[in-house]
Amino acid sequence: MKPFNEGERAGGLTRREAIERVGLLLGVAISPSILAGALQAQPGLARAVEAKPEFLSAPQFAAVSAMAERILPRSETPGAIDVGVPAFIDLMFGKFMTGAERQIFIAGIVEVEAKARARASVDFARMTPAAQDALLKEVATLSQNREKTFFHQLKELTLLGYFTSETVGKNFLHYDPIPGRFDACIPLETVGNRAWTR
Amino acid sequence: MALPGSVKQQNTYDAIVIGSGISGGWAAKELTEKGLKTLVLERGRDVKHGDYPTAMMESWEFAGRTKITDEATAQQAKQNRTGYTTHPAAAHWFVNDVENPYSEEKRFDWMRGYHVGGRSLLWGRQSYRLSDLDFEANAKEGIAVDWPVRYHEMAPWYDYAERFAGISGQKENLPQLPDGQFLPPMEMNCLEKQLRKRIADRFSGRVMTIGRAANLTQPHQGRGSCQYRNRCIRGCPYGAYFSSNAATLPAAAATGNLTLRPFSIVNQLIYDRDRKRATGVRVIDAETHEVIEFHAKIIFSCASAVASTFILLNSISDRFPQGFGNDSGELGRNLMDHHFKVGATGMSEEFGDRYYRGNRPNGIYIPRFRNVSKESTRKDYVRGFGYQGSASRVDWTRGIKELNYFGSRLKADLIAPGPWRFGIGAWGECLPYHDNRLYLNQALRDKWGQPTVTFSCDWRENEWAMRKDMKASAVEMLEASGLKDVTPFDDVSAPGLCIHEMGTARMGRDPKTSVLNEWNQVHAVPNVFVTDGACMTSSACVNPSLTYMALTARACDHAVSELKKHNL
Repeated sequence: MKPFNEGERAGGLTRREAIERVGLLLGVAISPSILAGALQAQPGLARAVEAKPEFLSAPQFAAVSAMAERILPRSETPGAIDVGVPAFIDLMFGKFMTGAERQIFIAGIVEVEAKARARASVDFARMTPAAQDALLKEVATLSQNREKTFFHQLKELTLLGYFTSETVGKNFLHYDPIPGRFDACIPLETVGNRAWTR
Repeated sequence: MALPGSVKQQNTYDAIVIGSGISGGWAAKELTEKGLKTLVLERGRDVKHGDYPTAMMESWEFAGRTKITDEATAQQAKQNRTGYTTHPAAAHWFVNDVENPYSEEKRFDWMRGYHVGGRSLLWGRQSYRLSDLDFEANAKEGIAVDWPVRYHEMAPWYDYAERFAGISGQKENLPQLPDGQFLPPMEMNCLEKQLRKRIADRFSGRVMTIGRAANLTQPHQGRGSCQYRNRCIRGCPYGAYFSSNAATLPAAAATGNLTLRPFSIVNQLIYDRDRKRATGVRVIDAETHEVIEFHAKIIFSCASAVASTFILLNSISDRFPQGFGNDSGELGRNLMDHHFKVGATGMSEEFGDRYYRGNRPNGIYIPRFRNVSKESTRKDYVRGFGYQGSASRVDWTRGIKELNYFGSRLKADLIAPGPWRFGIGAWGECLPYHDNRLYLNQALRDKWGQPTVTFSCDWRENEWAMRKDMKASAVEMLEASGLKDVTPFDDVSAPGLCIHEMGTARMGRDPKTSVLNEWNQVHAVPNVFVTDGACMTSSACVNPSLTYMALTARACDHAVSELKKHNL
């Protein structure tokens, strides 16, 4: 039986709760930027940022990282890059996609990069966040009524990688791997308005 | 095969049980507790209770999460048809399709696990009794043959099985779904309770109850109570749901009368023409390919519907050229499964400030309400269906669909639980059709040189007509209960996918039209019993495992009493 890792939670609190609690003790409200800074200090997150691709090329990986970060950007909670989503997508691409899915994925990156260069004369990763968002909105809208497009792949993998990551699962969703009982109807606020980690 | 006397003695037991799943585990427990030295033969590897490698793993510990690689898929192409059995958390419980091939004249999804405990480790744990509505239906409607048992004969054995297995549930006093010996029920969540009331108010004769599940709501028979992780399919370290590994096999072992032999593929039964009895079984050691004979006074075949019938079909002798005990020609026929994956979902705007704690490994059940009375009689089909479902708050996956919604607002939204959704899906009865069948394929051999199975089975008019109602009634109930965006679904699947294979060696009163008698004995060879899904004379619409437990315990009682009278 795998022991529950107490180190991930400070005295039953998540890291975020612990940071906020310290803020309350000091009598200051923790602003999103302070919180983001504190989160950035997590060693696990620093490692994720430095991840190298195993299957995608370095430019492809840079583009995917930038796109995933716009889908789930860092705010008061970690962003896609903070929790290692790019490395997760790289692995899914290399080991868990079918050949046909890989083709769609690569063609999608090529298309986004072509649009980026046509529009801003730089790689997607070097565009401003606002320009990245505008470009992605356009790709998303074009994909909306089609099936299994690159953007479907990208969005699903980004959300999957993020919400099933250890960092988010243990610290930002409500983590309770052995509930021990079933409470059929509780006020949502008692779990901080957060969904259970699955 | 001639064996030296001492070897034969060494390989001789009072009873042999083929298979260690739900039925085999029960046979092992009952026979050993009644003092019989019992050999349980399991074709797969050993799995001790607690030996569940993925039980405590979190989602992030699976590299591809729920996805598997192309190479893994190639090894389990048929097992992969369910969409959940080859998830890395459970794939090790399902067979390798390359090593264990079968053929399909018409598609049949045969999902199975070859290991100690079999599918008792993997089952859905929903546990319902058949009623006389089921036991009498064939006779009343002139379909197939009559069940040779009635509810009053089965009731004490259902009681007995439930008391040991531990079934949580709520009594509802419905003739079509008899109450049992229940542990306290699991609780419905806020929305489910509300919908139970509304369905009762708006639909006369329809009840929505909590699922009756072999999940313990309190410690029971030395096993722990449910921890509400809902990871049952991985194996439960707490023993909180009924499995052979956690419940019946330990009980059997405690008697000192159990010998369990894994990696033992029963290839055929050995028939003694003079004594008109089976004398034992011929086994292929799955690892060494060595052929070994074991002998016993009685044999219980509990290998699963398809596998038991395979063994009988493969046991050819001068007396039984068409398969063991197959004087009727019914062996391999009347194959059934439930048809399902049809129903509806709807959204609720209520209880936005409410949630639940824990993952309940159980849902709600709406028992059959069609063709249960004069008023509920349908012109377009016979028999009926029940609904299983649940209400929950939608998780983060809701964020995938709307592609141009992304950014920090999306992320904040998805960290909170989504709106409440309620969904129900129907499980429908399938009639026994003579030409829905399996037969041996001598041309395609498995790794051990055995013939394999070919299926030819499909749904017919009655199932299709019922299916329309399964969908329409779901929509009607959800809409009448005040749910929004009610959306029907109908994911037609091939027989087998429900993993409720039944029939192919049916029970009946007449040896000319059935394989087994009212005690699950092969008509012509009374020391051979078949008590798994193969024996089912009709399928009813409820999950069948509890009935296998009750039938097995009942047959064991009969077998031992007949042994004492020297009738076997």
